[in-house]
Amino acid sequence: MTSGTTPGTPQGPPLWRQAFDAAERRVTPHADSLVRTPGFATGVALLRRAQNLARDSARGVSARAWHLVNLPAGSDLARLRAQIGALDREVRRLTVQLENERRRPRAAADTTTPEEPDADGAQPASSPRPRAARRRAQRPPGA
Amino acid sequence: MRRDVERNALRARNGIKLVAGVDRPGVGLTPKDVVWQRGRTQLWHYRSDKVRYSPPLLVVFSLVSRSYILDLIPGNSFIEQLLDAGFDVYMVDWGEPDARDAQNRLEDYVDDYIPAAVERVRDISGADEVNLFGYCFGGDLSLLYAAHHPDAPVRSLTVLATPVDFTKMGPMADVFRGGLEVDDVLDEDGNVPPRVVVQGFKTLTPTAEVTRYVTLWEKLWSDEYVSAYQAMTGWSDDHIPFPGAAARETVQMLVRDNGMVTDRLTVGGDPVHLSDIRLPFLTVRADRDHIVPPDATAPLIDLVGSEDKHELRLPAGHMGLVVGRTAAKTTVPEIIGFIRTRSDETAPGPAVGQEG
Repeated sequence: MTSGTTPGTPQGPPLWRQAFDAAERRVTPHADSLVRTPGFATGVALLRRAQNLARDSARGVSARAWHLVNLPAGSDLARLRAQIGALDREVRRLTVQLENERRRPRAAADTTTPEEPDADGAQPASSPRPRAARRRAQRPPGA
Repeated sequence: MRRDVERNALRARNGIKLVAGVDRPGVGLTPKDVVWQRGRTQLWHYRSDKVRYSPPLLVVFSLVSRSYILDLIPGNSFIEQLLDAGFDVYMVDWGEPDARDAQNRLEDYVDDYIPAAVERVRDISGADEVNLFGYCFGGDLSLLYAAHHPDAPVRSLTVLATPVDFTKMGPMADVFRGGLEVDDVLDEDGNVPPRVVVQGFKTLTPTAEVTRYVTLWEKLWSDEYVSAYQAMTGWSDDHIPFPGAAARETVQMLVRDNGMVTDRLTVGGDPVHLSDIRLPFLTVRADRDHIVPPDATAPLIDLVGSEDKHELRLPAGHMGLVVGRTAAKTTVPEIIGFIRTRSDETAPGPAVGQEG
């Protein structure tokens, strides 16, 4: 690769760079347009699905082989990891929400109030996860 | 001729350094303390002995990239400039998600982590409020937080390069409208792997990768260029997994429904409206941003309900908003000016919660 410069412009970019820039200027708009066509998006989706189909088929065969000898396959471990991850998330969310709830009434703690007799009872373990407290929308008066 | 020989010798030396990965510039070096942690998420408090403004500034970072872009290298650090300007700076860093984070939904960040970080900042600083700053997708999380919690203790909201019109996000969003499902790209952990995120960004400018290497070859002799190249491209190639459930929600709500623009947002099952944001608001967008095109950020100023709202449009790229000379001369002073006028001046001193 040479690093010659245009005669009379010693500080300009080298010739090879000028050639590259000229080529790049011609190619870039076409490449940019190509990746923005619906066909490109569809092609990516189809390619990805084909890859996944091949991968899943191979994994299915492998899983059946492991199950034949009564051993867990990678897919079983992945399912377990997902379940542990979901549990980890629930614990994290509950911890953060507990922290937030502990902070919130701190200011009001001085004025201790007895538990409301009509307070909601404990939720059964099978009920959906506790939801974050929905705060009122702060709209200006009259809005 | 002599110059060419010298430069080729320097190219050889720097090329070996690059390939060997030696002499990589240290990134994210501004001293800080971890003041709260839950899961992979950490809240950082940057050390400063020249805090002059209150309330503190809480930076919410993006979910798909590493936060050191805001604290790239000493002398070229957005965080450093904020500290020099007298702000007490905190940052929420989401860490590197793994299999345990695959079920994280947007509500985890918007309803749990950000409120917890805000409360922790208030606990440490003793301030009643915080100034909130969201970068890129962190801006989207901040918008959802501010909209879902309109009475949150936030003095002002600034978002930088924050996309709202996902129909203008280019091929990365188009592929998910063209039939690709998030489940098709998940890894074994259930997250969108970093290589898919990086590939998505590279698709936005398909020839840039070649140009990048050509420019590197041309300037490989320059130590200064190589150092900057290592830091910048190191960051742009260094992404983190996107939690699968949050990615599914993002694709459905933000990309396919274009929920920010069409007002079809929900967080934790609750409808959320950007028009509920009534805080003093600043949005910063870059005209040459190829990651978050300016058209994708343009509608934001009209979507929020604030009366005190401003838009700053700069001739910069995505990274150029926070890194480099343009950032130091234009973006950062403007942001500092906006937040400063919405802050209270205090006697200079160390940040509350830090030793002397």
